[in-house]
Amino acid sequence: MSKAILDVKDLKKHYSRSRGLVSALRGRDVVIPAIDGISFYIRENETMGLVGESGCGKTTVGRSIMGLTPITSGQVLFDGEDLSVLPPSRFLPYRRQMQMIFQDLDAALNPKMRVRSILREAVTVFDRPGNEGVDRRIRELLDQVNLKESKLTSFPHELSGGEKRRVGIARALAVGARFLVADEPTSALDVSIQAQIVNLLVDLQRDLGLSYLFISHDLRIVELISHKVAVMYLGKIVEMGLAGSIANRPLHPYTRMLWSSMVDGRSLEGSPSPGGRGTWGSLDFERPQAGCRFASRCPVYRDRGRPAVCTDPSTEPELLDVGRARKVACHFPLQ
Amino acid sequence: MKRYTQRSSVVVEFSDLPFWKKADRRDLFYLGFGLLVLTMVLVSYALGSLEWLPYDPQEIDLDMLMAPPGTEGHLLGTDFMGRDILSRLVLGTQAYFLPGLLSITIALTLGSLVGVLSGYWGAGFDTAATYLGNLLDSFPRLVFILLVVAAFKPDIYYIMVVVGITNVPVVSLLIRDKILSLKQKTFIEAAKALGLRNRTIIFRHILWHNCRSTLIIQATLGMAEAILIESSLSYLGFGVQEPTPSWGNMVQAGSNYFMQGQFWSSTAPALAILVTIMGFHLLGDGLNYILEGKRS
Amino acid sequence: MAVEPVLTIEDLRTYFYSRSKRAFIRSVDGVGLQVRRGETLGIVGESGSGKSVTALSVIGLIDAEPGVITGRVGFRVNGTEWSLLPSIGDHVSLAEEDGRIVEVVKDNRGWRRKVDRLMHGVRGREISMIFQNPRVSLNPFVTIGSQVAESVLLNTGIRNRREAAEKARYWLEQVRMDSPGLRFAQYPGDLSGGMCQRAMIAMALSSEPSLLIADEPTTGLDSTIQSKIVELLDDLKKAVGVTTVLISHDINVVARLSDSVAVMYGGTVLEYGPADRVLSPDFLPKHPYVEALLESIPSERHIKDGLLPRAIEGEVLDTVNAPRGCRFFDRCHRITNGIEEKCRDLEPDLAEISAGHQMRCWLHIG
Repeated sequence: MSKAILDVKDLKKHYSRSRGLVSALRGRDVVIPAIDGISFYIRENETMGLVGESGCGKTTVGRSIMGLTPITSGQVLFDGEDLSVLPPSRFLPYRRQMQMIFQDLDAALNPKMRVRSILREAVTVFDRPGNEGVDRRIRELLDQVNLKESKLTSFPHELSGGEKRRVGIARALAVGARFLVADEPTSALDVSIQAQIVNLLVDLQRDLGLSYLFISHDLRIVELISHKVAVMYLGKIVEMGLAGSIANRPLHPYTRMLWSSMVDGRSLEGSPSPGGRGTWGSLDFERPQAGCRFASRCPVYRDRGRPAVCTDPSTEPELLDVGRARKVACHFPLQ
Repeated sequence: MKRYTQRSSVVVEFSDLPFWKKADRRDLFYLGFGLLVLTMVLVSYALGSLEWLPYDPQEIDLDMLMAPPGTEGHLLGTDFMGRDILSRLVLGTQAYFLPGLLSITIALTLGSLVGVLSGYWGAGFDTAATYLGNLLDSFPRLVFILLVVAAFKPDIYYIMVVVGITNVPVVSLLIRDKILSLKQKTFIEAAKALGLRNRTIIFRHILWHNCRSTLIIQATLGMAEAILIESSLSYLGFGVQEPTPSWGNMVQAGSNYFMQGQFWSSTAPALAILVTIMGFHLLGDGLNYILEGKRS
Repeated sequence: MAVEPVLTIEDLRTYFYSRSKRAFIRSVDGVGLQVRRGETLGIVGESGSGKSVTALSVIGLIDAEPGVITGRVGFRVNGTEWSLLPSIGDHVSLAEEDGRIVEVVKDNRGWRRKVDRLMHGVRGREISMIFQNPRVSLNPFVTIGSQVAESVLLNTGIRNRREAAEKARYWLEQVRMDSPGLRFAQYPGDLSGGMCQRAMIAMALSSEPSLLIADEPTTGLDSTIQSKIVELLDDLKKAVGVTTVLISHDINVVARLSDSVAVMYGGTVLEYGPADRVLSPDFLPKHPYVEALLESIPSERHIKDGLLPRAIEGEVLDTVNAPRGCRFFDRCHRITNGIEEKCRDLEPDLAEISAGHQMRCWLHIG
């Protein structure tokens, strides 16, 4: 079994939101636990899918790993080295190893730079291969992401969504990264283009031996592309396991809710699964639930007659191993 | 009625066209006029420095007092001491050109520095810079200039240093806002993630690619302002001192004769001021639209 | 057909003008659709397919120049008939070359005035619209209750404020707001995205419209919330029975809610027919685009078999340079030697291949 390339241990990221001078002095600033202690690891040549709704903290996980935002506590081990304690200058060499694909298509590319200079810049961050070497490398990258050479003279706004995404991927590959954080790489794209990008990422993984952290709100795509899947809810992982098993047999009520909200319209109409319909409630970090965070929306909690253990502040469910590489954080996992 | 025309039934890509084919005709006119004025100023400055002038601008000719325009040898006439107005106009560009460049340089470099510091690193420095900028803005500039003139001497370079410094908040605010709006997009973060150093991001991505046109436009407006301030102060007697010609003190000197029908000796420099300032403003406007795609 | 159509769109063309390209963007290029009373028509398409522009043209909300150029939009309720588009020649004159419009002369102001006159009493009252982004579409400084009540006052016979508030509360309950009494006095900022969308739906329904246009009503919401909104729309359809045009890029949403479906691509309708035929992968024949589109969406089937969805190669059509022939030509995987030339040079008509099922493809019309 190949070794872990990335190992995240008890990662926490708290934002504090100031409510003004008085409450700051009284220490009453609101602390928002965007990530509240999550752990996972990714092996070489493996894809880990991280899925959750907007605001659950999944993007913050990616940015924390990339060192784009300081973390509150925990460890981010890359090849065994804890990145979270490195000063910026010592972090730099690791940017060669790990890169990020950003969610926002338009915003991640400098609007005033042509594709050629965007790629040239990426190729020359760590190396100085000379003009000929740069051109050769750019051609190689274009070939890898399947982009026409005529696009080199275009500005980002002249490209279609799929082409922008390809440039973004080429840029991440340019430094020779082995590990990519892909933050919603398909969500801004048209349906018919999404599959192209998913296939491209899979091909690149096979050809270049990449590892991915694949962040998405779409459990279907995550299930298809990943080896392992973690489901996040309000800053915590509530369920983790091998892809395929998550969708086929969800253990956490939230996973089931997420899955049933996504599968094809017609099959939903016929059989609304009893656990599928949760109650309303919004994701809200400022009013965290005592005990299990999902209780207020949880169909199981409701059906079981609101057991006290779910809302007891001292018994927040832990992410426990339930066998067959499966972990779930729930007092009453589904069978 | 509005007309929309497609050139042919098959569309060619227009995005690679040079800007003069894409831009609005009005903006091209602005740009052209501005460039013409800029060229005239540069040529005048060069002629003045080389002393290639029709007459010595200081030479007093008592036989030719207040000669009207068109008098033989004096295209724009002479002033109350018989000095050639054209030569003095050409030499008058010396009064503001270098000092103007000085004030622009100060405003742009300090402004970019403060703007980058407060926009990129923000927080405490940003707050401090904003307060300081507001303080500087709230103090009347003319009073500031007069204080400096009183404390040191009525030298145009001193004055232009003050003008440059008082313009720092304007430029820094522009740069800061630009950076804040760029930060909304993720490409700065993406550049960081790529492994670029802060100085590359600041100089290449922010200043060179995204603030270049803002700075050029600020430079043209700065020159227009320098001319305006130089001529007003010289008119009041605080700026460039006689007998050195400046458009401001030429208007002042001619103004006594204006009401007696001898309008030319103050009208010529006044028109020069008008046309030049307008030229620099239109240059800024034209550039703003053509480079930035928006009207100021 | 026994039930008369409420809305009839014929040969609608909505062009915009790109200054930098000096060319027309042919966002909608000859669309014809019909919506019958009580029916939900789904319009599916990718970005740039012209689905939203079609809806905005119908309701007269196209602002950018030159806007709607030609076509006919008929709207019929209880025997009253409206024509919602100024007829050609009133404010527009066209010049063509090679059968393509190359010059438009338009009196924009006159056109605008005419549209507003035509729309008076229709927009808001007879036709309501739900937009994609509920937060932006609601006034942030007015309470939810007042906004709905305002719409009741404006668009129904009710003139009494108290009655209107009563009615507003009724609609908030209808859209299953949790604790509608409490939400009534809250501002949009206090509500989650899903709740805002419910408020929008309540507002749209409160004028008791004859036609509801829902433009991407679930886009941008989280998937669990999306499914709730879809459920709500489904229940409302059964309970209230309002005639609806549903526009979405999400095939699952459209499949769930629509009776008939039009699949748009590059400004035209490629396939139009009953939803259970058009969007069912197993029903044949299919338009190659629809077939490929259905296959490119990850479904349960893919996950069960561990297969990646098949991508449609190429890029979404650029509507400035629409090809002469079939708009899907460049990306089509089913062109045979026999029809290749026809596909490239000649655009097929939207032809009936079976009762109520139309298709624009040379494969299926001989």
